[in-house]
Amino acid sequence: MTDRIRKLVELTKAGNMYNYPRDVEFDREDLFLLRQDRESKRLCEFILAQEPVITEYQTMTGFFNCSSVVVGDAFRRMGHEHFEKLLKDFYLKPIDNLSTFEWQHATADYDKVLRVGIKGIVAEIDAALDKFVDDEQIEFLKALKRVAETLIMWARKCSQRASEAASKTENPEYKRNLIELSESLKRVPENPPATFYEAVLTIYICFSADPDSVGMLDRYLSPFYFKDLSAGAITRENAIEYLQELFLMLQSCTDKNSKNFTRGGESHFCIRGYLPDGEDGFNDLSRLIVESLIELPTYIPQITVRWTSKTSRETFRFCMDCERKDTFGRIAFQNDEKRLKCFTGICGFPFEKAVGYTTVGCNEPAFVGAVTGSNSKINFLKSVETLFFKMSDEVISAGSFDEFYALFTNVMSADMDRACAYDDKFNIERSKDINYLSSLLFQGCVEKARSLTQGSADYVIASPMLLGITNVIDSLIVVKQFVYDEKSVPMRTLVSALQSDWQGYEDLRRTILRRGDFFGNDTDLSNSVAQRVYRSLYEYYKDKKNIFGYHFLVGDLLGYNEHHKWFGSKTKATPDGRAAGDIIKFGLGQSEGRDRHGLTAYLNSVAKVDPFAIACGSTVTNVSLDEKLITDDENFEKTVNIFETYFRLGGVHFQLTYVKKEDLIKARVTPEQYGNLRVRVSGFSDYFVNLPPDIQEDVIRRTEHVE
Amino acid sequence: MKALIFDIQRGSYVDGPGIRTTVFFKGCNLRCKWCHNPESRSTSAQILFYKDKCISCGKCAQVCPHGLKKCTLCGKCETFCPTSARKLCGVLYTPDEIVSEILKDKPYYGNSGGVTFSGGECMLNVGFLEECLRLCKSSGVNIAVDTAGNVKWASFERVLPLTDLFLYDVKCVSPDLHVLGTGADNRLILDNLAKLSRSGAKIIVRVPLIPGFNDDEREFVKIADLLSGLNIVKVEVLPYHSMGEHKWAAAGLSPTRYRVPSASEIEKFRGFFAK
Ligand code: SF4
Ligand code: SF4
Repeated sequence: MTDRIRKLVELTKAGNMYNYPRDVEFDREDLFLLRQDRESKRLCEFILAQEPVITEYQTMTGFFNCSSVVVGDAFRRMGHEHFEKLLKDFYLKPIDNLSTFEWQHATADYDKVLRVGIKGIVAEIDAALDKFVDDEQIEFLKALKRVAETLIMWARKCSQRASEAASKTENPEYKRNLIELSESLKRVPENPPATFYEAVLTIYICFSADPDSVGMLDRYLSPFYFKDLSAGAITRENAIEYLQELFLMLQSCTDKNSKNFTRGGESHFCIRGYLPDGEDGFNDLSRLIVESLIELPTYIPQITVRWTSKTSRETFRFCMDCERKDTFGRIAFQNDEKRLKCFTGICGFPFEKAVGYTTVGCNEPAFVGAVTGSNSKINFLKSVETLFFKMSDEVISAGSFDEFYALFTNVMSADMDRACAYDDKFNIERSKDINYLSSLLFQGCVEKARSLTQGSADYVIASPMLLGITNVIDSLIVVKQFVYDEKSVPMRTLVSALQSDWQGYEDLRRTILRRGDFFGNDTDLSNSVAQRVYRSLYEYYKDKKNIFGYHFLVGDLLGYNEHHKWFGSKTKATPDGRAAGDIIKFGLGQSEGRDRHGLTAYLNSVAKVDPFAIACGSTVTNVSLDEKLITDDENFEKTVNIFETYFRLGGVHFQLTYVKKEDLIKARVTPEQYGNLRVRVSGFSDYFVNLPPDIQEDVIRRTEHVE
Repeated sequence: MKALIFDIQRGSYVDGPGIRTTVFFKGCNLRCKWCHNPESRSTSAQILFYKDKCISCGKCAQVCPHGLKKCTLCGKCETFCPTSARKLCGVLYTPDEIVSEILKDKPYYGNSGGVTFSGGECMLNVGFLEECLRLCKSSGVNIAVDTAGNVKWASFERVLPLTDLFLYDVKCVSPDLHVLGTGADNRLILDNLAKLSRSGAKIIVRVPLIPGFNDDEREFVKIADLLSGLNIVKVEVLPYHSMGEHKWAAAGLSPTRYRVPSASEIEKFRGFFAK
């Protein structure tokens, strides 16, 4: 790491690089303007009233944060009236213990702005203005044009500030940097960048328009990188510095006082995977991106490596090696084969488009220039509860597991129908807001003269997140195993046990917990029930679309909020041995020690569960590993083999946690001594001691695969 | 054809190269005092009783057809014991059943991993083992046999053509010491090892390091001398650990306690086999 970057790291970690939004007084008479005119005018006045963060150590500047006085970016959604109302009424407040409203993540179309510059987008807006006749649409396009022109003016202002800073510094290197910055800001982002440096600078400044994910960095930066490298215009070391400066901005766009400052899911993007021509795209720049990141002692961004069956073992090993060295837990892995199967198969996207996905937020798939679709969290276990508490007569008279299962799928369909209906309602409300800033850089907004809040993009997937999938599978397994196969527990007894919350049935509960052939054991019984549940989900969702016409793909991740706790607290006892009020599980295959056949059996179960690829939505598989399996070099090679095989068998995703159980138990007693203990839970990483007690307990219970 | 198996462990990092599935056969003809799998000794199935887990609920006595007075290994007490304090050790498997379990992890074996037949002493039931090996071989699974070597050479001759790697235990060279620690003479063991080496088999030798038994430099010099004349891929020193201790009582036996060797001791004794 260079001294310059080290200085920036210090400033970033101290929170000094955060750009506090400045207040603006608006002309009160603008109230009489038309909505789109007023909102965009205010936004533009706001932008030009901001000041860039500039210190002598920078080679880039121009990121600004919006505040709630304007209709700002689509990520934070501040000033979006209807979204704010939804937040107030539904965020963190489950409806009917079935569904909760969640945040949407997205990634802007940086590819486009790098190709045509803001100037090119303005030209597209002009062309669209000639085409559309509807007043609303014309007003929207005019607003976009105003915002585009404002961004160019903002860059000029930043250029001015850089030049002022240059005149103040004594250090000749820093002076050169700032002068180059000032000159470049006169060209970009208005024009397409000419160099790697300008390309990174363009992303840096345009990130203000949607401070969420940088999308597919290696894909759009590769042409610039290789051109400059072969021309001798930059070295590998220069490129590392630029990337690190970009990453530090991603870290510092969150206020240090926010709890999200230490959470990796806040800014997440993918590297490589398949290129449109069907080749694996991992290249030297991808490598550089990973290397640049792990050198930085920061929490954000988080990178997911897209694996393909053409990824060489050497590349995969390199990425896993970086992963094991990265104490901040910022690297995860996913399988392009499975994802592309669902994007091309279920969603019907052409291959060249399907490869243009990244993952945002915790692990939501999003296509460049688009928002993630429907993303409510759903209590899937509620369907099981309904069976045993509201339909116990039918359940008791079910003569076979098939009959019982048919009852389950009926309830499930009804619950999912309701959850989808809520989701559509959320989307209808969201679509009443008009977004100007992010829309400039999103698919379809200019071409269709439609705000991104109104489903402007063509390539989007809708991914409801079903929490408790593992509980559902385990509950069905218990019913099949004990009631129908072994006939050791009459259904009537099981119903009574659940209805009395296991009171008086403690032995039955223990027997179930001890002998249940739970998911993750790779046995015929557990696999067949699990696959049957995924088949049912496939049958239910395969032809379904949300209100904007986007295909549903099932997810299972939790994110930052404790949905699993809220849902669990109101869900009565379930056959998997869960007592009333206990949390429900999230992620795919989280087993909490119920898998007793080792890591390969666990991974086999997960990899084989969904041959239909319906569960390629926002899904995560967290695997907790004994540290010895990676610290020892011989073991590490074996671990690399295991996970490569897991992908070949069809696993979608994995991220690793390395913890010793004793550490965690001790950390709960004396958190002050374990301040640096980092764990990863469902798509994000955080300090263990920062986690709520329930999640802590969860982490402790999760199996450690110690061989 | 059936044999008693007390465990099949998948995804093992430690029983030979690569990722392996390890099949533990019940029954052994040595009586090593430091054994960490004492439940493997007896050639018949048995009920293990973990006293510290028992909550005295009385379920086992209720369900046992003999009121726990005698045991016919029906397994009922295991099924109903709510805390796993009672465990039936030893389940009969056919070669096909074992191999279908092994094949579940075939994708993980890659070029280096495979199956390890262990125990107990898997070579005691050599006819059965041979059949398992044949099935594995025809499915393209790499085969390791983990043995203490205390069987007739004729048994080795039967498994030799089917085995890719032997994990061969050498506890010590001095015959008296061997009798003291394991209850058996080691001449047959060392003789077999020499023959195996001459046959060109691939062998990894494993030497347990047991303080108070063989933590003697002279003994290790002898072992090293012996092995230097043989064709051995690698020598592994396996330090004693006490994690198997609670199983002695569960199997109705009383353990001999040894000291767990320190890291520096382990390093020192490993040094005898440094290439
Ligand atoms: S059933 Fe288990 S816990 Fe109950 S008395 Fe018997 S051994 Fe002990
Ligand atoms: S295995 Fe059967 S016979 Fe033996 S103690 Fe248990 S219940 Fe009784």
